[in-house]
Amino acid sequence: MGSALPPDGFTLLGGRIPYIEGPLKVTGRAEYTDDLQRPGMLVGRLLRSPWAHARIRSIDVSAARSLPGVYAVLTGERYPTPFGVLPITHDETAIAVGKVRYIGDILAAVAAQDEPTAERAIALIRVEVEPLAEHTDPKVGVTPVTDPIHDRGLNGSNVQKEVAQHFGDVDAAFARAAQTVRVRGSFAGVTHAFTEPMATIAEATPDGRLTVWSATQVPHYLHRALSEVLGLPMHRIRVIKPEVGGGFGGKSDPLPHEIACAALALETGRPVKVLFDREDVFLTNHGRHPTQNDLRVAADADGRLLAYDLSAVIDGGAWSSFGTVTTYYNGVLAMGPYRVPNFRYHGRRVYTNRPPSGAMRAHGGTNVRYTVEVALDELAEKVGIDPFELRRRNALPPHSTTVNQFRITSTSFLACLDAVRAASGWDAAFRQLPYGEGIGLGCGFYISGSNSPIHFTPKMPQSTVHLKVDMDGGIAVHSMQADIGQGSNTLLAAIVAEVVGVALERVHVIRVDSDVSPIDLGSYSSRVTFMMGNAARRAAEDLRTRLVRGASELLGYPPEQIRVGRERFEVAHRPDVSVTYLEALHRAMERTGALTAAGAYSSPPMGGSFKGARAGTAPAYSFAAYVARVRVDAETGEYRVGKMWAAFDCGRPLNRLAVEGQIEGSIHMGLGQLMGETLNYRGARLMNPSLLDYKIPMPAQMPEVECLLVGEDDPEGPFGAKEAGEGPLVATLPAVANALYDAVGVRFTDLPITPEKVVKGIELRQREGRPWKGE
Amino acid sequence: MHLDPFELHRPSSLEEALRLATAHAGGFDYLAGGTDLLPNYKMHLNLRPHLIALDAVAELRGRGLERLGAMERLADLERDTELARAYPGFADALAEVATPLVRASGTLGGNLLVETRCFFFNQSHFWRESLGYCLKAEGDRCHVVPQKERCYATFSGDLAPVLMALDAEAELAGPGGRRRVPLGAIYDAAGDGIRRHRLGPGEIVVAVHLPAAARARASAYLKLRVRPSFDFPELGAAAAAELDGGRVRSLAVAVGGLETYPRRFDELTAPLVGEHLSDDRLRAFSEAVMRAVRPVHNTFLAPDYRRKMTRVYVRRAVEKVRERSGAAA
Amino acid sequence: MSGLRALVRLTLNGHPVEVSCPDERVLLDLVREELHLTGTKRGCDLGTCGCCTVLLDGRPTLSCLTLARLADGRSLTTIEGLSPGTGLSPVQRAFVEHGATQCGFCTPGFIVAATALLGEHPHPTREEVVRGLSGNLCRCTGYAKIIEAVLAAAEGR
Ligand SMILES: Cc1cc2nc3c(=O)[nH]c(=O)nc-3n(C[C@H](O)[C@H](O)[C@H](O)COP(=O)(O)OP(=O)(O)OC[C@H]3O[C@@H](n4cnc5c(N)ncnc54)[C@H](O)[C@@H]3O)c2cc1C
Ligand code: SF4
Ligand code: FES
Ligand code: FES
Repeated sequence: MGSALPPDGFTLLGGRIPYIEGPLKVTGRAEYTDDLQRPGMLVGRLLRSPWAHARIRSIDVSAARSLPGVYAVLTGERYPTPFGVLPITHDETAIAVGKVRYIGDILAAVAAQDEPTAERAIALIRVEVEPLAEHTDPKVGVTPVTDPIHDRGLNGSNVQKEVAQHFGDVDAAFARAAQTVRVRGSFAGVTHAFTEPMATIAEATPDGRLTVWSATQVPHYLHRALSEVLGLPMHRIRVIKPEVGGGFGGKSDPLPHEIACAALALETGRPVKVLFDREDVFLTNHGRHPTQNDLRVAADADGRLLAYDLSAVIDGGAWSSFGTVTTYYNGVLAMGPYRVPNFRYHGRRVYTNRPPSGAMRAHGGTNVRYTVEVALDELAEKVGIDPFELRRRNALPPHSTTVNQFRITSTSFLACLDAVRAASGWDAAFRQLPYGEGIGLGCGFYISGSNSPIHFTPKMPQSTVHLKVDMDGGIAVHSMQADIGQGSNTLLAAIVAEVVGVALERVHVIRVDSDVSPIDLGSYSSRVTFMMGNAARRAAEDLRTRLVRGASELLGYPPEQIRVGRERFEVAHRPDVSVTYLEALHRAMERTGALTAAGAYSSPPMGGSFKGARAGTAPAYSFAAYVARVRVDAETGEYRVGKMWAAFDCGRPLNRLAVEGQIEGSIHMGLGQLMGETLNYRGARLMNPSLLDYKIPMPAQMPEVECLLVGEDDPEGPFGAKEAGEGPLVATLPAVANALYDAVGVRFTDLPITPEKVVKGIELRQREGRPWKGE
Repeated sequence: MHLDPFELHRPSSLEEALRLATAHAGGFDYLAGGTDLLPNYKMHLNLRPHLIALDAVAELRGRGLERLGAMERLADLERDTELARAYPGFADALAEVATPLVRASGTLGGNLLVETRCFFFNQSHFWRESLGYCLKAEGDRCHVVPQKERCYATFSGDLAPVLMALDAEAELAGPGGRRRVPLGAIYDAAGDGIRRHRLGPGEIVVAVHLPAAARARASAYLKLRVRPSFDFPELGAAAAAELDGGRVRSLAVAVGGLETYPRRFDELTAPLVGEHLSDDRLRAFSEAVMRAVRPVHNTFLAPDYRRKMTRVYVRRAVEKVRERSGAAA
Repeated sequence: MSGLRALVRLTLNGHPVEVSCPDERVLLDLVREELHLTGTKRGCDLGTCGCCTVLLDGRPTLSCLTLARLADGRSLTTIEGLSPGTGLSPVQRAFVEHGATQCGFCTPGFIVAATALLGEHPHPTREEVVRGLSGNLCRCTGYAKIIEAVLAAAEGR
């Protein structure tokens, strides 16, 4: 191996690197799934269930089948094998079998020559059902019910997953506590609302192969699910990921329509496209779980944390999806950034007859973080110390272990606190602003990549990167990491260019294609920078070693004395003696032809040995401290976040442009959930499946954001980096909520915090005779 | 999402448009900017086999301080600084309609006749079918106020309230001739709510006329909505007044976004004429407006809150008018 | 009833074209499906996202809510027509340099809208940019870098 890179001698990493596919995106030349055409392509359409919960008596597709221009009509029996993103909870089918479980569940799939014909065929399908009891309240679903949604619910209830954990002795801690605080949080469901609706194209060819292009974040899980359900070996399936217009977790499960589309292709022998409209996207959901949680905090007289006693009831919707993980995360992600010596958690995820909940940016960490940070704000007030001081006293030190055995390595949490306190002018503002104005602190903690690959043991690499260089000197990079807009292609290219010492434009990141891309688990759990980054670094170092050998042969100096220059290789103590990159390359190619190199990453063993111990373990964690300034119109309850100072520890930021972009985008998404986004249900029915009624914030609602990147190098991250994709979201919500408290003296624990709730909260406080800040 | 087939007509004169309307009586819609009609068509709401596009009809164009052609685009009205100076409340309202992109196509006439809105109506065919259709499209009952006679869909146009407060008149042309009515008269306050206006069959809104008195008034429009763009009004409060010192020479207040039609409160403003517009009087007046309105739960924000805010928004709109007239409280 | 067709003549990105088009076809479908210019994006089909914005006679227009036949005789510019050959327009270059495009799906709509905005206000204030772009949704960027990019393009930075 060549010598380690000088930490600060980078030419690219650590700077602001514009996204490499930017020029294609700004000209409309980037290709998303719906932009692709195949000869003879048919239109695929789905019949969705108008019933929330019903047993299917019969489906008559004969009229639809005999409509001219219809090529296939499929129902669930054709491919009944259940699947799901987690191997332990396969409870979905591509098309409903026996039952429908939510309004929008897929009853049949049609392939036809064009859209009108497909729609006519859909309208001709006759379905008879026996309605079953509708379950929409997860709190009721924890007990045995008539007509449970799945057979696998616990003891005839709708409980999909129950977690009970206890570390230390929580009751004893509460018995000796000087201060206790209790917060009960209630969180409406929210959804990803990426701008690109899902789309899939599938084509089966006479060579026995099936090719699927799909808007997916995790091509590998889709690949597996297609194979399992369709009964084709994986090597006969080819999954291609075109450009993806945002995912945020919503395109990380293998989804029923993707499999149904492939099934239609197999059935017809023609390419088939399924394109979603907005309502389809909303009904597919897999968004953040509606959640009720209850947290009791025990502390000593100085505000040192003694225990958390936490419970949560989580509305899972119709399927399991990532739900087992969600159930754990809603507990264990409370375990940072503070030292909590005793911890008890009881979590239940309950099926309901609503569109499935799943993973959404800062999955499992957002709602519990809100409750924790609001509780600590309250605790600080009770103890009579500044919220910053409370956090400082309790910060997890670097290289420590939490009570549930998370391995904490690097943390710059204290640096985050200090930076944001100074930048925000906190000391001159907190509790000193006029009534209606407020400032608040919220902190964050999130996994930098889930330690557990879902489908295999950690012995298999979670990320692999392959490089290929031929005479032209361009470096082709293959990996199944899935750029969905976060800039991972750019980072991949930059790491390779940095290590090999070539210009960025020499590096070509090849579109994800399972035929050529080595497996990487894709874009979820904020894992890509850490895992792919390490794999890319190793691959690039492998390549560099060969190039150095070529240079060494040409220059007549041993490899140890060769140094990487800019597009050259030089003798370390005689920089005037050098060869160009291409000369070294061509020499190195003499034996083998085109050079290939590989790098892989597997996370090290970690975590306890109790049941569920792996949940929440990660090779590193991000930390955050945000301060928000708000202004409230106390009469109407309308409020605006004017500024957000975001101190974030992502280790070493490798692409500042991308890290800032992730922070700004996360704040936008967090504010959406806080201020107005909500999946608004009446019973089982989603009332607002549109971008008009689902309230994504507009530019004028965005605060000015000041990013403070204060992380130190992580010992295991690539060049010291950790995640910045999801963690930046979680601190947003409590920072604003605590600022609202500072502004008007009301604790809001029911999200979203609509103006109406603000007005009601203020009225209630006034009725209780508690004036605030000289109001 | 494709549109179901229809026949598109593109008359180049008012006369031709009215002839087409007569020929396809009962089976057509006029198409202006299409920003309201086409989303509704995509959702299969009350489709007609013929669309008569009004974009080539020159008589529907033109804008000046006295007359605004119905086919004037909102973006062009918004850009007109002379209009904004003369009718600041109208400028307030224009800037609040939908989004700049919708305003680039949307027209004045379309805005005045925008379809009323309801959670149970502005939904896809699949959605409505799965619940059971309602009175306003294909069905026979209401999901908001359970009964079978009346629809409570909400009037959601932003421009009507302020134009009504300015005493605007609508110039109409129909197969039976032309007429001019107070703008508020095109809304069917006494109707069943299913049909949102009382234009005759085939009648076209040709223009809006503003009387000289309107130019003597200061005006303002305030809109309640969740986001500062896109969202339809959850409440829109318009006020226009001529103040003499602090004394009211004329005052008109109208609201939209609360009920099936936009509404003016002449019976409540009349007693204020000749009086000093004090804070107390204003508060009492706003309170009375709040008591008069009856929003139902078919939009995003709860009706209780929208009512409560009516008091605040009406008061603030009048305060703004007072400010704009340079009058003190 | 089956779709009536009529001939539509357009100047498409500077070139005259003629297409036969059913009455009920919207411009977005014409552009994407008939003319195979897929840079214009379909985010909602209902006027609620701005991804489908094009210029009609220089005016920003939601192509999902505009009947194609009504564009007859007019000049249509799509995202593909904003830059010469393989180069980038100043707005496009600013979007790349400032990281204003993440997933990129909203980007064509934003760039078309921003181009129109700068046509009207060559030196906009921040406030004017915020207002002018409030008909486009972005779920990735939080808008910060988009606004920055448009201001930078205006200043020739
Ligand atoms: C995302 C979105 C958000 C919106 N938000 C708002 C909002 O905040 N506030 C608001 O007020 N509107 C809003 N709208 C609705 C609409 O876009 C505007 O009201 C617009 O002004 C309608 O004008 P148009 O020319 O596009 O109408 P069209 O859709 O063409 O027509 C609307 C109706 O009026 C009839 N009509 C039009 N012109 C005439 C005429 N001259 N004579 C007789 N009948 C006629 C049509 O037949 C049709 O029934 C929104 C629309 C969208 C898509
Ligand atoms: S108010 Fe009632 S009748 Fe009217 S649209 Fe809504 S549900 Fe239908
Ligand atoms: S696709 Fe036209 S506005 Fe969304
Ligand atoms: S960049 Fe993804 S929606 Fe804007």
